[in-house]
Amino acid sequence: MSTVDTSSGKRSALAPLGKPFAAAGGVLGIVAALLPWVTFTLNDGNWPDKSTLQFFDAPFLVTGFRWHLLVLGILVLVAAFAPVPSKGRVVRALGWGLTIVSFVNAAYITVKGGGLGAITALDGATAFGGVVGLIAGVLTILAGYGIGIEPVGEWKFKVSTPVAYLVLLVSFGAVLYAVAAMLTTGGVGSANPYAGAIFLSFLGFAGGLLAALSGVGFVRWISVLSEQHRVFSVIVLAACALLLPFTEAGNEYWMTVAANIGIYAATAIGLNIVVGLAGLLDLGYVAFMGIGALVAANFSGAATAYFGFDLPFPVAAVIAAVVAGIFGAIVGSPTLRVRGDYLAIVTLAFGEIFTRSAQNDIGGFTNGSNAIPGIPALSLFGAEFNKSFTIGAVKLPAGVLYYVLIVLLVAATMAVFANLKFSRIGRAWIAIREDEDAARAMGIRTGKMKILAFLIGAMLAGLAGAVFAHKNGTVSYESFKFLESVTLLAAVILGGMGSIPGAVLGAALLFVLPEKLRDFEDYRLMIFGLALILIMRFRPVGLIPDAHRRAEMVERADENADEAHLEAKKA
Amino acid sequence: MRKHSVKSAAIVGASLLVLAACGSNKTEGGGTTGGSCDTSKGTLTVGVVAPLSGNLSALGVGIKQSAELAVDEANKKCTVPGFKLTVSAQDDEANPAKGAQAATKLSTDPNVVGVVGTLNSSVAQTVQPILRDKKIPQVSPANTNPSLTRGNDFLTAPKRQFDNYFRVCTTDDLQGPYAANYLVEKAGKKKIAIITDGKTYGDGLAAELSKQVAKKGGTIVGTEKVGEKDTDFSGVIAKIKALAPEAVYYGGEYPVAGPLSKQMKDAGLDVPVMGGDGIFDGKYIELGGKEGDLATSVGAPTESLATAKAFVDAYKAKFGKEDYAAYGAFSYDAANAIIGGLAKTVEGGTWDESKRDAMLTNVGAYSGSGATGAVKFDQYGDSTNKVLTVYSVTSGKWKDVQTGEFTG
Amino acid sequence: MSVLLQQLANGVIQGALIALIALGYTMVYGIIQLINFAHGEVFMVASYGGLATFTLLPDDLKKSPAVALPLMFVGGIAVAVLVAVIMERFAYRPLRNAPRLAPLITALGVSVFLQEAVRVFYPNAKSNLPYPKVFPEGNLTIGSVNISWTGILLVVLSVGLAVILQTYINRSRMGRAMRATAQDPDTAKLMGVNPDRVIVLTFIIGAVLAGVAGIMFGGYLNNINIDMGFQNGIFAFTAAVLGGVGSIRGAVIGAFIIGLIKTVAGQYMPGGTQYDYVWIFVVLILVLVFRPQGLFGEPERVRA
Repeated sequence: MSTVDTSSGKRSALAPLGKPFAAAGGVLGIVAALLPWVTFTLNDGNWPDKSTLQFFDAPFLVTGFRWHLLVLGILVLVAAFAPVPSKGRVVRALGWGLTIVSFVNAAYITVKGGGLGAITALDGATAFGGVVGLIAGVLTILAGYGIGIEPVGEWKFKVSTPVAYLVLLVSFGAVLYAVAAMLTTGGVGSANPYAGAIFLSFLGFAGGLLAALSGVGFVRWISVLSEQHRVFSVIVLAACALLLPFTEAGNEYWMTVAANIGIYAATAIGLNIVVGLAGLLDLGYVAFMGIGALVAANFSGAATAYFGFDLPFPVAAVIAAVVAGIFGAIVGSPTLRVRGDYLAIVTLAFGEIFTRSAQNDIGGFTNGSNAIPGIPALSLFGAEFNKSFTIGAVKLPAGVLYYVLIVLLVAATMAVFANLKFSRIGRAWIAIREDEDAARAMGIRTGKMKILAFLIGAMLAGLAGAVFAHKNGTVSYESFKFLESVTLLAAVILGGMGSIPGAVLGAALLFVLPEKLRDFEDYRLMIFGLALILIMRFRPVGLIPDAHRRAEMVERADENADEAHLEAKKA
Repeated sequence: MRKHSVKSAAIVGASLLVLAACGSNKTEGGGTTGGSCDTSKGTLTVGVVAPLSGNLSALGVGIKQSAELAVDEANKKCTVPGFKLTVSAQDDEANPAKGAQAATKLSTDPNVVGVVGTLNSSVAQTVQPILRDKKIPQVSPANTNPSLTRGNDFLTAPKRQFDNYFRVCTTDDLQGPYAANYLVEKAGKKKIAIITDGKTYGDGLAAELSKQVAKKGGTIVGTEKVGEKDTDFSGVIAKIKALAPEAVYYGGEYPVAGPLSKQMKDAGLDVPVMGGDGIFDGKYIELGGKEGDLATSVGAPTESLATAKAFVDAYKAKFGKEDYAAYGAFSYDAANAIIGGLAKTVEGGTWDESKRDAMLTNVGAYSGSGATGAVKFDQYGDSTNKVLTVYSVTSGKWKDVQTGEFTG
Repeated sequence: MSVLLQQLANGVIQGALIALIALGYTMVYGIIQLINFAHGEVFMVASYGGLATFTLLPDDLKKSPAVALPLMFVGGIAVAVLVAVIMERFAYRPLRNAPRLAPLITALGVSVFLQEAVRVFYPNAKSNLPYPKVFPEGNLTIGSVNISWTGILLVVLSVGLAVILQTYINRSRMGRAMRATAQDPDTAKLMGVNPDRVIVLTFIIGAVLAGVAGIMFGGYLNNINIDMGFQNGIFAFTAAVLGGVGSIRGAVIGAFIIGLIKTVAGQYMPGGTQYDYVWIFVVLILVLVFRPQGLFGEPERVRA
């Protein structure tokens, strides 16, 4: 563990500087928020939230990234001098927040303004905000190391049920607020030329804050609480999700994006059963979603559908799930003999065969490369799902009904997943994942269990596919290519394998980020590849690790860290 | 160790200062717009939906940049008085679901007056209804599937599908048969083998061609498919060669067609390859297209069109290279149709949602002379430019051999 | 009959290409049990590296194949080795003790990253690029069967390198160290073998072979694109699995089997070339079900 060695080495040198650095970083962060950032008006218009000295005139109107810097700076000061658990972690996290916010804004201004003159001194004007912000960030990170990176604080105190409910309610409400804010930062239309920068800067702020909260131990506490009050948490979470259309993010565009995210999240949960619980790598998983979508499309009454009649959606969806499930069992059947990595290649082959077959209109079911267009939108009690919708005085954007349907779908798959995970079957899967031979020795019928994992996972994907068909109106083989499988897998891993909220979070991030960062579209996949490498390198357990997995993967690393820590203390 | 880092920090700091001193460049790219035109009434946006990432991005970027060129020129010429025009290009990743998201994003922006796109017909299918609901005209530079405008029974019972959808490119049911006529009647090739890449464009083209070949008394000796990403075609070629065709028709684009032609020749099957406008590109010859290979393309030959040459020159001047790809010129014309329609709709007045209907009508009635020839739409939204030209590779260059209209 | 012969010849050439890539897969898997999905991209990168070398040559050297061709091999192989070493050092080595899925996903990430990096940064790599004509032109014609000289060169190189590799691994000191590490890394370490060195060397050998394959691929087909690595990589990995992972002989024979299935099934099976690789995977699944260790592999040991 070479990283630990260097950090402990650094710690000895930095230890006395911890608090002074934190103080300096915090103060400089606040100063940076108040300094000018740009020396002139950029061609695309003013840098967001004003960019001149008027901040000194009206410091209470601070908004946007300046507001974020101000908050972070104050928090650094608070964290440095208040009795905060695992102080080093908190300070370091806030430092990263400061650094990212400063870096994003400074870098954008530098690039858009054509040189470092834009953020330093030019034509008599000075604008050292970016430089000061960066220094503040780096100082604070160093301060974090100086104070010492201790294990994440654990909150042992118990609270009564009503208090727990209240805490959960407030935290999930905050999550809803954060999600809405994240979606709407930078605006929706093409109006704001700096949308990408605003979003990234916000992401740095929110990430720093979240990491600080997690460092304090708050996040772990909340997850323990929500684990204890599982039913309540799920209901509140679902309610929060249903409230999203009423926030600023409630417009047609984000409803469409959110609906698509939901579809992929439901599929990712299915994949999570196969990969996260049973430990079977599936590289062709999106094919099951494709099968579900094709089945639903053929029963939808679209002009080029194979069957000339349309079935009610619930019936078609069930058939889609069943057909996908049957294919899942077939694809899973080699697992009876084939192990581990070999299975990956079998599933990859299946995925390729699916796209090839769909492209060639196999059996007349897929309409080949022409796809099946014109699948009618769903409707319920005369309300068409793709039209806007009014409750009382509130006019909800088009697509909101799809969003609601998909939230319910995701909630249902989460419930299925949660129940399976803690059932006898789920334990059997985890046992297989950990050690197949031992599991068999314990009397688990491993073959049957593995096929069951494939079957259930594929059924969930098929169900999601059925919604996908109606939501998008077209089913084409192009939607179900290998890269989609990789993206789904990445969603599961990014969120945390075997973790229920993780899969949803992973899917959300992987589908929101490209929408938000359309400026970088040419580099999208490259960044995606790099991100996969970095996640595996630095946080293989994912963002919201499953408690069980955390036990097996992090504790080991933590032990090492603890040992190193102890040694450092001894020395 | 510490000394070292202090030293390097000092070096970094010093170089930053130097950079800061000389990096005081205020002028940026894109500053050419505006100029002397009046842009007091605000900014209107021409949307572009095309694959800008992934392996079709060469075509998508060509579409995007050509639209940008058209908008730039309109801004310079004050085509739409009172307004500044911009392009908002959205990546559809060649994926229908992502295309729908991109279209929704554009359609929720009240300043989007029209959309150029898409590249893939399957993406068009999801984009069409979204834009129709908002009455936003969509002009495609590249969708050749006839059913997009005229429905599934496009030959027997054509019916307009979307009143907001137009295209400046030709459709498979003209280009395919025209090529068939040339092959069978002019070139006297009766035995024709077909290879396609299995995508909408290639399959559709080949299907329409084979109908006409049969009508004219030729025979299709075999049909094969290759993957759009394949590079080794020896298996397909050996199979085709055994059927002794007199010509091979390839439905698809040049990245596959060029190497295919070369590998055919190397394998001893030295018959001409013919294709549609997807292979009519200089790169086809670079990649191995051989002498005598044929391609059809829309419109009269470019050398005879001053507008086409002007487009190529302007593109090169703006972007530095000629990477407008197969659909750049169409995209340029599509963007100009939207701009032209907009100019007529606004006509010195203002822009608001109530003008959307007029905008649709005006785009539909647009008529101009573009980089691909005359640009005008028929009652289905298809291009009226039905002039097609057959080109042949002659001493390393595409040379036109026949220009005309498909008459049956 | 002549069609069958022609298809067999085509299959052998395709097999030879796949074999060169499959050797890299099988060696890496044999030693660290990692499906290095990015190995196909090493092959692709090598091809672009060779092309870049050619582009950078002065004009008069471009005209003499005797000089240009070896230089292209050097350039392409150098790029491939560099990429493979960086990949091993920074992506895989830190994960050596991580759960098995982690390096596999990293490999997918590396694969996507390399492909996109070439697409974005190599000039005009967004579509296919033509390969320079520095290879022997023309065909060997036997009856009605045409076999290009470049194809024959490819087969000779492929088989020759495989034989050399087999000998090296069986005879040399380093080869013995490799086999020892593959069998039991910990014991090998006790015996004085440096596993890091062995693993890096494995990656380098794989990259050299992939480099040769990359240049020959360009020469044989005259065009390259960024997807070539992924497609041929999958075939190569399938070949390695088919032959029995870890076995040099198995990988080569598996590769030839796959090349032959692809062309022959494309010719004679229903669906033709559209479904040719469906048959490859059908054969793969059958082999795995009835002989999970592959044709020449050893029965799987239970690993800790």
